[in-house]
Amino acid sequence: MDLGHPLRLGVQLTPRAADPGAAARLARRAEDLGLDLVVVADAPVGEPGLDAWTVVGSVAGATERVDLATRGLRLDDRPPAVLARAVASLDLLAGGRVTLGLAADPADGTDPDEALDALAEGVDVLRGVWAAAEPGPLVHEGRHHHVPGAQRGPAPAHDLALWLDGGADVAGSRALAARVADGWWLPGLATSGRDDVLREQAALDADLAAAGRDPREVRRGLVLDAAAGADALAALVLDAGVGTLVLAVADEAALAAFAADVAPALRERVAAERAARGTRVGTVRRAAVRAARVPGIDYDAVPASLVGTAVEPGDARYAAVRSTYLRGGRPGLVLRPGSTAEVVEALAYARAQDVPLAVRSGGHGISGRSTNVGGIVLDLSRMHAIEVLDVATRRVRIQPGARWGEVAAALHPYGWALTSGDYGGVGVGGLATAGGIGFLVRAHGLTLDHLRAAEVVLADGSVVRTSADEHPDLFWGVRGAGANLGIVTSFEFEVDEVGDVGFAQLVLDATDTEQFLVDYGATLEAAPRDTTAFLIMGPPRDGTVVAQIMAMVDSDDPETIVERLTPFARIAPLLQQQVQVVPYPAVVSTPQRHFSEGEPVTRTGMAEHLTPELAADAARLVRSGATPFFQIRAAGGAVHDVPADATAYAHRSANFSIVAMGTSRRRIDAIWDAMAHHFDGAYLSFETDPRPERLGDVYPGATLERLRGLKRRYDPEDVFRHNYSVAEPPAVVL
Amino acid sequence: MTDYGHDLLFGSFITPGNAAPERVVGLAQISERVGLDLATFQDHPYQPSFLDTWTLLSYVAARTEHITLAPNVANLPLRPPAVLARSVASLDLLSGGRVELGLGAGGFWDAIEAMGGRRLTPGQGVDALREAIAVIRALWDTGERARVDLPGDYWPLAGAKRGPAPAHPVGIWVGAYKPRMLRLTGEHADGWLPSLPYLSSLQDLDDGNARIDDAAQAAGRDPRAVRRLLNVGGQLSARRSPNLLAGPPEQWVEQLAVLALEHGTSGFIATGDDPTLLTVLGQEIAPAVRELVAAERGGSAGVAPAAVVAGEA
Repeated sequence: MDLGHPLRLGVQLTPRAADPGAAARLARRAEDLGLDLVVVADAPVGEPGLDAWTVVGSVAGATERVDLATRGLRLDDRPPAVLARAVASLDLLAGGRVTLGLAADPADGTDPDEALDALAEGVDVLRGVWAAAEPGPLVHEGRHHHVPGAQRGPAPAHDLALWLDGGADVAGSRALAARVADGWWLPGLATSGRDDVLREQAALDADLAAAGRDPREVRRGLVLDAAAGADALAALVLDAGVGTLVLAVADEAALAAFAADVAPALRERVAAERAARGTRVGTVRRAAVRAARVPGIDYDAVPASLVGTAVEPGDARYAAVRSTYLRGGRPGLVLRPGSTAEVVEALAYARAQDVPLAVRSGGHGISGRSTNVGGIVLDLSRMHAIEVLDVATRRVRIQPGARWGEVAAALHPYGWALTSGDYGGVGVGGLATAGGIGFLVRAHGLTLDHLRAAEVVLADGSVVRTSADEHPDLFWGVRGAGANLGIVTSFEFEVDEVGDVGFAQLVLDATDTEQFLVDYGATLEAAPRDTTAFLIMGPPRDGTVVAQIMAMVDSDDPETIVERLTPFARIAPLLQQQVQVVPYPAVVSTPQRHFSEGEPVTRTGMAEHLTPELAADAARLVRSGATPFFQIRAAGGAVHDVPADATAYAHRSANFSIVAMGTSRRRIDAIWDAMAHHFDGAYLSFETDPRPERLGDVYPGATLERLRGLKRRYDPEDVFRHNYSVAEPPAVVL
Repeated sequence: MTDYGHDLLFGSFITPGNAAPERVVGLAQISERVGLDLATFQDHPYQPSFLDTWTLLSYVAARTEHITLAPNVANLPLRPPAVLARSVASLDLLSGGRVELGLGAGGFWDAIEAMGGRRLTPGQGVDALREAIAVIRALWDTGERARVDLPGDYWPLAGAKRGPAPAHPVGIWVGAYKPRMLRLTGEHADGWLPSLPYLSSLQDLDDGNARIDDAAQAAGRDPRAVRRLLNVGGQLSARRSPNLLAGPPEQWVEQLAVLALEHGTSGFIATGDDPTLLTVLGQEIAPAVRELVAAERGGSAGVAPAAVVAGEA
């Protein structure tokens, strides 16, 4: 019987110390030949071969695409909690290409039953460490392994499959596999014939039935010691439920012959027969995972290319992907495409499901709802490449899932930087399609002002390149309202030369808040463009209002830096100061990922000047205690050089972008609504007010009209409505 | 005033954070590109925000071509020596002889125990490290045919097969601070690898060297059999400062040369994960220090015999 598992063809190598280079050579060859999987077998007991785990790590480094698996790895002398982190680490390094195969193959003298028990405990520890989001440390007090309280994590990059092998006690190992494994290497070689394979399969299915599991939950693999013909192998797949076939060869010629002569015919046979029979291809997740699924999503129809990296509510990785920086979520499915083609597939699939869709790059969005409840999240974090296209013109291609700290670190060796925000954890996709008001904004403008071209997946699945010359209307809209029009899968930016910068944190006594704000505004407007400052205030403490100024001077000359900062330090009594000359990446570094619960409450406004009237109202707001975080960002300088109608970001005359976070929506709205006359526009990325009139603040007048035309043309069904949809009637989705 | 005459090594001490693995790998690749000799990674297997150091080394070995790689330093309590010996030998073979073994007794015992490691007193830790070094050397020694029997309190071996042997004589560099660890380093190690921030002064460096020298001589070894390396932190800045390694490249050059010529240090491994610092270290500072030290040594003691540096005498 065909279990419908995706057909995976590969090679098994047993690394020998005599020819250490063979492993990487053969693996690269397998990758070039288009095979799916490289299996590294542990050395036979007692044979001092190469350490299989070290070999797998090195093979991962030597390859780019092919999946990697250990087979029969023994836990002896490897503390399982350490191995767990090792396996997760390799999966993170290799971009989710790793499968772990274990076996209980005891060294001389150990009772096979004891070895199996130890393996079962080891599996518990492995999975316990990988469950990074489970509360509390992992405690495992077994007979063989004692883990009194290990911190959990990291989670592997994908739903990492654990396979078992026969080892010393085949029946016992099989029963264990039936309880805990995701895959099972059938004992013996294919030369033992189809009937033997069927008998082994029946035995495993019986064990699975006893364990209450679906036979399709466990993949079946077979190691071939010689390439059989495509017909015989197709029979193993179509009649005997084997989905993974690997050839144990040491020479490249045999491998090449298998890939050239057998694999294509085999793939074709299997595909044709499955199509004729209507066999559904895919893997079946564990019963506990299936039980956690939500209605409205056809999980079995997830495209094959996305199945391996998709995350469902019951998966170990779920807690790590459900929420975003300031927002809790409970999506029904997180798809994690790794390429433009996969984004197209994911989008088509998601559109066919009757649930909300969210698109996520870094998951930092405040206005952008990059998570949801019961819907699908299209998470672009695996698409994080940063590539220099041309050194002379400083042209750089960046994928949407990269985070700005990574961008800063990658550009720094060239002496370059691209202004972003004030936080390295923000993703490229969300920020670069909305604005980008960062520490270099006055010197270099908005992030989106540096965009020269983009690749966009549109709602209908078509992929277009947009620039000043290609789909120029789309290029206009992507710069400020990209989230409304499609999914940008790659950005081409022209970045700036940036050396070390001056970075200051000044803490001032702003108890005379109104006067402080007026002076601060004037000081900033008077400062040369090389100086950008952001101001943060919180509620008064013991009657004192403290202001924190974070300022960057685009210069490494200490005298210039001091000259620029002195006027700020003189606004009010200086309580603390720290001034450093640092590389740009030191300011915009990449933090750990963050996870939240609840919903952020924010209001924003763009202002040309900090007038006395605005300052008086802002001072009242700060003193009210209604906002634990009140920030005024510089938003002028080079931003003014671009006409307001040149991009969908229209706030070109503003010098300030102001945001107040609140704890109560009603309270902050009451105060902020009364301040509306001070503002001309709102900054998309920090606004969370769901009322429809905010749309006109974010996209004023002519900008909104033009965007509505684009919406009708590129996204007529308003698929992309999760970040202030411009569609009529406006659909602001919470 | 000590100079053991070793050739100079320069390297990077990289934090293996797992939030951006490609950045960690990139720092090793930058280290290679700018001409550093060593890329090393700290090893804290109980730290869930880190990549597993051994796995990372295996991966980086395939993404680099000529730089030498080492854990700095491997956490013995969670890396049993028999597996470690085979792993090191395997990677040395896979990488064409580019691996050295930084090794430590372990220090954060609460975290080690929480992961399933055995909590030891500092004294037991030293004894366990001594046993482990014997285990590692025995398993690497395929010149002997007999299986290995090494009774012990911590890492006993009974009838273990030897091998594989590494591709080159892998140096065991011990992270040591206290007298017993320093003595063990002099008696058994090929290198001493402390971190400057853990030393209270350069006097500590001289005292450590003296203890290692005494222990080596008492064990019948040439003190030059133990290379002296140092993890150093610092900042590049435009202005000179009175502090160690906080100033322009010229200041670094002078101070590293003093460390080499007067304090015996021949391996400088920069902490901080800063690509700029690594670039300046590899391209500007290292060549200048080498030149200065060679001139001071008068060309006679520029290179130590490899056998003395690497293997146990």
